[in-house]
Amino acid sequence: MLQQGLYAALTIVLGVGVFLAYFWGANWILDRALASNARMPHALAQRRDNLRSRIRPWLFLAPALIFLLVYLVYPVFETFRLSLYDRLGQDFVGPDNYTWAIHDATFWQAALNNLGWLVIVPALSTIFGLLIAVLADRVWWGGLGKTLVFTPMAISFVGAAVIWRFVYAYRGPDMPQIGILNAFVTWLGYPPQPWMQLTYVNSLLLMVILIWIQTGFAMVILSAALRGIPGETIEAARIDGASEVQIFFTIMIPQIAGTILVVWTTITIIVLKVFDIVYAMTNGENDTQVLANLMYRWTFISGDTGRGSAIAIVLMLAVLPVMIWNIRRFRAAEGTH
Amino acid sequence: MKRLLLTGASAAAVIFGGAAFVSAQDLAFPIGEGAFSWESLEAFTAAHTDLAGQTLTIWSPWNNEGDAAQWESVWRYFEQATGIDVQSGSSPNYEEQARIDIAAGSPPNILILPQPGLLADFAAQGALTPLGPETAQWIEDNYAAGASWAALGQFAGPDGTVQQYGLPYKQEVKSLVWYSPDNFAEMGYEVPTTMEELYALQDQIVADGGTPWCIGIESGGATGWPATDWIEDLMLRNYPPEVYDQWVTNEIPFNDPRVVDVIDQFGAIVKNDQMVAGGTAAVAGTAFGDSPLGLFTVPPQCYLHRQASFIASFFPEGTVAGEDYDFFYLPPFESKDLGNPVLGSGNIVTIARDSPAARAFVEFLETPIAHEIWMAAPNSAFLSAHMGANPEVYSSQALRDQGQILLNATTFRFDGSDLMPGPIGAGAFWTGMVDFVNGASAQQVADQIQAAWDALR
Repeated sequence: MLQQGLYAALTIVLGVGVFLAYFWGANWILDRALASNARMPHALAQRRDNLRSRIRPWLFLAPALIFLLVYLVYPVFETFRLSLYDRLGQDFVGPDNYTWAIHDATFWQAALNNLGWLVIVPALSTIFGLLIAVLADRVWWGGLGKTLVFTPMAISFVGAAVIWRFVYAYRGPDMPQIGILNAFVTWLGYPPQPWMQLTYVNSLLLMVILIWIQTGFAMVILSAALRGIPGETIEAARIDGASEVQIFFTIMIPQIAGTILVVWTTITIIVLKVFDIVYAMTNGENDTQVLANLMYRWTFISGDTGRGSAIAIVLMLAVLPVMIWNIRRFRAAEGTH
Repeated sequence: MKRLLLTGASAAAVIFGGAAFVSAQDLAFPIGEGAFSWESLEAFTAAHTDLAGQTLTIWSPWNNEGDAAQWESVWRYFEQATGIDVQSGSSPNYEEQARIDIAAGSPPNILILPQPGLLADFAAQGALTPLGPETAQWIEDNYAAGASWAALGQFAGPDGTVQQYGLPYKQEVKSLVWYSPDNFAEMGYEVPTTMEELYALQDQIVADGGTPWCIGIESGGATGWPATDWIEDLMLRNYPPEVYDQWVTNEIPFNDPRVVDVIDQFGAIVKNDQMVAGGTAAVAGTAFGDSPLGLFTVPPQCYLHRQASFIASFFPEGTVAGEDYDFFYLPPFESKDLGNPVLGSGNIVTIARDSPAARAFVEFLETPIAHEIWMAAPNSAFLSAHMGANPEVYSSQALRDQGQILLNATTFRFDGSDLMPGPIGAGAFWTGMVDFVNGASAQQVADQIQAAWDALR
């Protein structure tokens, strides 16, 4: 434990130190190598100044670009290549892995589950986030409430799954229930349920975990957007006799519609990638399989990189349009398109 | 830049690692004392004097605290004898990690896994180093039922030639039923010696108002495997071992009527709410390690628990073998006349990155002392088929008896799901068992698993 702590501390110190040294050093070298001063011919100094200011951004961008290339761009192409090869990545098989996926029942089940997540989680997270953002400002303990809602954001997905395992825990009917949900159900006089084994219900209960995590995110962003609404518009509506509900729907929502969409799509991307929660809670058993977990299973448990990569590519293609659209929205909001 | 970072980190690793190395020099049993075969350690030490200062990395399946500590107590002697610095690691997802390390080109020197099927896959990819025919001969000569153990470590290499790639080490007997002698005495139950008697006993327990079995098949990413053991044990008790072999290699389909019949026999127990503690619905959600705890409650939640020898390390702290718990051999059907079949499993030691230290380590595991240290470790579940290891050093009579079951088996078969291809034995079979327990019929499940097998390539 101590050793790991020391490693972590050392990595942070070294990592930050090396990067600081790079930025400072590269900058220093650039300033020395292409120095200009008053004694030089004016044209040369001018040229050097221009050259410096053109190179400088690339020096600063280089580390990020290199990491993006190595860890993001290259894997995309390699994954695509592997998806056209056999299980060990040795022989070319063409589109075989994709035709397999189209005919595989588990694949479709996972895809349908993903679709369910896609429809339910972003919608509920955004709606709850918006409601809390609006209502929390009206009570004296709103700040505390918002803090509590935001806290789950700090918990990793696997950590959240471990917490919720206890919520959904099930013991036989004649044993004491340690799960909160079953404790509640038995208190109401109903028999305890093995939640994680009830088809459909189990998927919904897994979605609740992600909603629990993401509502805080939606709330914080939307809360900030609400603060940005000019007070005069609301005041004017009030003077004109609009009810609170009318103000919410016709004054507030249209003014923060852009932010709502960004929040919605951001959560959509997170949802499409959902893996940790399903892996830690059910591992895709009992019809809770999702694409990311199916990909992991084929790649690392079954050792079939061909099929695993094909699923990964399908998943990427599904995320891509949402992401492009999201970036467009973001640029429009920033006014830099 | 990244490189610099790594160099810095590994320099630190050397410093810190060195510190850890110095602090843990104490050995579990003082050399020269007790019934251990210390002379084998002396001979090994004398034969390996030129390896000091080398490093040996090991990836093992022993990730829980007890197993990891006991395994460490074994390789400490190897460090002591050779001066080699051993770095042994494991994780709960050790199979996946092994696959990742091999795919990434950074395998450990020594790779130990309990799945021959997975290792066969690695051997075919050329990721393992053959141990040579003399190792094959050594296993045949020194292990009880040596030929069958040697065969477990023989795989086809990348060119298709079958060679010895693995040395079996640490065996487990799976055909065991655990019970509480006190609870049996209180109710006047007797240990059954045939399957017919066992079935009569479970009916008797139900008639007395008790629950016969504790069954839990939850195991994180491997949920379902305890049920596959049930199917395998019942296969060996209903049909000759040849049928078992054909089933494991898919020479007979998974949905053969004989297999479906065996799944249904398991269903007669697991799908009967009166037969299982907590009812059928609790089975798929109960962690396999927690499930035997029902034996120790007052009043007992169950009277019987079928599980491999290693389960003893999950029993409550302070419970004593032979007093608080005991076990009997899951008996054969008197009517079927199939001898005493034993289902077992074991770990296979392979070399994934060759080095003189790795070769020396395999030789070390051939010495009786490398087995005896773990046999003698308190609360261990280590069984050895090594005939040179002294059974006297076993830490308990229970282990000695289990070791005897291993040596007396008329038929020994390795855990079938570990022999099947990964997507079946570590995938469709597990999922199928979860589906079966949750309500699917034996036929549906068997069809589904066979379909997955057909989709393999």
